[in-house]
Amino acid sequence: MRFWRRKKREAELDEELRSHLEMAKQERVEGGDTVDEAERAARREFGNIELVKEVTRGAWGWRCLEEFVEDARYGLRRMRKSPGFTAIAVLTLALGIGANTAIFSLVNGILLVSLPYPNPERLVSVTGAYPKGAIVAMREQVHTMDVGAYDEGQELNLTGLGEPVRLNGTLVSAELFSILGARPELGRTFYPGEDVPGQDNFVILSHALWEQRFGGDASILGRSIELGGVNRLVIGVMPAEFRFPSTKTQVWIPLHNDLRNAVSFWAGDFMPGIGRLRPGSTIQQAQTEIRMFQSHVGALFPWPMPASWNANASAVPLQIGMVADVRARLLILLGAVATVLMIACSNVANLTLSRAATREKEISIRSALGAGRQRITRQLLTESVLQALFGGLLGLAFAKEGLVLLKSVLPTDTPRLAEVHIDWRVLVFTGTLAILTGVVFGLAPALHSARAALTEALKSGGRGTSASVSQRLRSSLAIAQVAFAVLLVIAAGLMIRSFWALSHVDAGFRPEHILTARITPNESFCSDSKRCLTFYRSVLEQVRAFPGTSAAALVNTLPLGGRVSKRSLDVEDHEVPPGEDVPLFWLNVVTPEYFRVMGIRLLSGRGFTDSDVSGALVAVVTAETAQRFWPNQGAVGKHIRLLDDKDWRTIVGVIPDVRAYDLQRNVPDWIGGTAYVPYTPAAALEDRRIPAEMTIAIRTASDDSQIAATLRNSVADLNQEVPVSEVKTMSTVVSEAVSTPASTTVLLVAFAALALVLGTIGIYGVLSFLVSNRTREIGIRMALGAQRGDVLWSVMGEGAKLSLAGIGLGMASAFAVMRALSGELYGVGATDPLTFCGVAILVAVVAMTACYVPARRAMRVDPVVALRHE
Amino acid sequence: MAEKRERYQNRIELLQGTLDLLILQTLQWGPQHGYGISVAIRNRSGELLQVDTGSLYPALHRLEKQKWIKAEWRISENKQRAKFYQLTAAGKKQLTKERSKWSQLSDAIAGVLNPEQR
Repeated sequence: MRFWRRKKREAELDEELRSHLEMAKQERVEGGDTVDEAERAARREFGNIELVKEVTRGAWGWRCLEEFVEDARYGLRRMRKSPGFTAIAVLTLALGIGANTAIFSLVNGILLVSLPYPNPERLVSVTGAYPKGAIVAMREQVHTMDVGAYDEGQELNLTGLGEPVRLNGTLVSAELFSILGARPELGRTFYPGEDVPGQDNFVILSHALWEQRFGGDASILGRSIELGGVNRLVIGVMPAEFRFPSTKTQVWIPLHNDLRNAVSFWAGDFMPGIGRLRPGSTIQQAQTEIRMFQSHVGALFPWPMPASWNANASAVPLQIGMVADVRARLLILLGAVATVLMIACSNVANLTLSRAATREKEISIRSALGAGRQRITRQLLTESVLQALFGGLLGLAFAKEGLVLLKSVLPTDTPRLAEVHIDWRVLVFTGTLAILTGVVFGLAPALHSARAALTEALKSGGRGTSASVSQRLRSSLAIAQVAFAVLLVIAAGLMIRSFWALSHVDAGFRPEHILTARITPNESFCSDSKRCLTFYRSVLEQVRAFPGTSAAALVNTLPLGGRVSKRSLDVEDHEVPPGEDVPLFWLNVVTPEYFRVMGIRLLSGRGFTDSDVSGALVAVVTAETAQRFWPNQGAVGKHIRLLDDKDWRTIVGVIPDVRAYDLQRNVPDWIGGTAYVPYTPAAALEDRRIPAEMTIAIRTASDDSQIAATLRNSVADLNQEVPVSEVKTMSTVVSEAVSTPASTTVLLVAFAALALVLGTIGIYGVLSFLVSNRTREIGIRMALGAQRGDVLWSVMGEGAKLSLAGIGLGMASAFAVMRALSGELYGVGATDPLTFCGVAILVAVVAMTACYVPARRAMRVDPVVALRHE
Repeated sequence: MAEKRERYQNRIELLQGTLDLLILQTLQWGPQHGYGISVAIRNRSGELLQVDTGSLYPALHRLEKQKWIKAEWRISENKQRAKFYQLTAAGKKQLTKERSKWSQLSDAIAGVLNPEQR
């Protein structure tokens, strides 16, 4: 539009001036001149038409824009003329900008975009973990906000509709949906009060589940479905965009706030609180109130609570609370890609500088013709920005692909991952980044060239004697590149070391050739413990008969599963004084063959046998537990007693520490020890019932998928209502346990490799340029008798100086920066000297290899040719 | 090239107020094209003032931008298409202002040059 108007104006100006000339000429003709004379005189009087045009255009006030367009056109022409240079520069920038765009999309989608609820800034996450009773108390006592709670990860069987399936549910307080301000797609959400026994037999479905299992049929509303053995009325369906607390949730079920059941009310699952600030309240007031609440809530419990429980509880914005775990990791990645971009920038700046040297003549001619220094700088900058914009465009394409890759590399439980996409914020980010990048890498070369323009180049006939200043600039850039690369490679090195340590942790079992699956009857099925145990005995018998199966066992919670049952225990020789806590243990319930199937060694005593199932009460403890309670005397023969049991259990064996919860071995300090008991009617958990949901571990020799299918059939034959889920090998369980550090490591290694390659190219480029610039000098030296070796070493020495400076700088900054990484590291310090030294050597070797190529070229300089070249 | 341009620009600056006044005054007698304006100024000044095209056209375009004059393509007396400028209402006001400024200025200069006559 604007462009066309301008074209028209240009044409009008042309015509206006021509008519002026024509009139002047005609008047002269009328005055008696010949046409030729008249024309010449008119022109002479008029002056330089183009110049008049230009100054007139100046009056339009568009000069700036026009110059920019001119510069851009010129820049494009130049880019077309040197496709090789342009391709390398654009590609380098595209890699840098693309990586930044992809990671920024994550940061944007996960950390920055506000939560998709009305007035999201009023939503608050109450940090800490509370049982239902404390949540109910909080709801009554806290006045700065409306309080609710949610308990993710509740698994439930959906039965009565063909094959039974296991669903992921979230228990919610009745107020949760109104606190979030979330509206259903169909039906309604919970009303206040619909989370107490007798009034809570409702369920809300997720859109996905509604589509998959109920064919998207609206008549599901008002019908009952059987969930976990309980009939629940479907009252609503949430829209597909509603993903609270995560995409995993398929059903929302009211919390069962049963005041009469003190154990479930005060000791059941602990969950986080959520709140919406009431009008007029601030988050600071909410924080104060939560801290006050925390100071006296302990007294409400039917038993004493340790002072350390929720000691740091506070209120934070929900947006921050929900993503607290990934925040640090995302910022580390963002730092890494920013570093890659810095290297890319220095690289292109270097390329541009070496080209600037060959362009000096062109620039000095332009300067001699009257282009001001500012104008030249602006023109060169326009070129760089153009390149960067192209890089940005290509980078955006990279980022689009990269994001798909990133999403597959990142652990699936990363919060809000599904919401991540390239939106306008990302586009603005990329655009700004591209322009900034262009300015950053273009500014130094542009200023430098413009300054050097007139003074030197013309005098020297275009041989580029301003090279010494340029060389200093280029050297600094190369040092910076090496330093940045060292920084990233150290980060990657630490992550690799940490990951290696984690993967080589002795988890206490041998994961090879084990297939696992969850078998999950409803709780009610096991209220009759005999029925339950008979069912499982039949399952085991059938499985052992499978071809290719050598052994099978059951456990209530698999190692590394992220959940372990807890149970308070009396411990022999450790009587607890009145008023103090009985130690809380991690309690595993297993069938006798479990240790053998899992390859868990016995350190002393024996494992369980079939006779333990019916005989005297026994237990096995881990080495750490034994050491803690009976140091230096051995645990075998000692006794423990599940709280509220009459009879003591004899400890018959000690096993090594099995990583029950996770590989990093995050054992909370309030867990006193770990015990194993046989799966018998006496193996009651905290709710005084034997576990209903068990995991089967099968030692196999044959095709796993074959066995999985047979297992499903056998269980279905025994009981139609019992779903088999999460069929996976134990090796998969282990690799899932390291998926988070694995993804961070993979990404950091990729970025570090990129950094190293770019940094190496940088050093190589600087030295090559140095050598080609010094060909004459080298020739003279050789003519004067310098040995080839001397030349080689002088160039190598130059390279070594740059590399060492870069490595030193990189290590120093790494020393300062790596602390940010320490939260992600396992088994290695953030300033691990081995990693630092290893990386220094690695980078030095790579850099010296890069130096060797130009050094060899220098060595081969033929003095005769070099001097004749002059 | 740039240097020459600067020379022109300097001259515009030098003449700026005056040239604007002359153009506005010329247009008061009726719409006129660029050539006509330069001829009119030359003739009325007794051939003394030669308006340079490199000053005239930028000034015309600037005055147009300030909406003191407006332009229109018409056929001139010798059957040529030409761009005619004419005063706008704002231009007339501007002319009055410029004239009084000019007479103040010339009085002031005269006062400086001939102090005894005061």
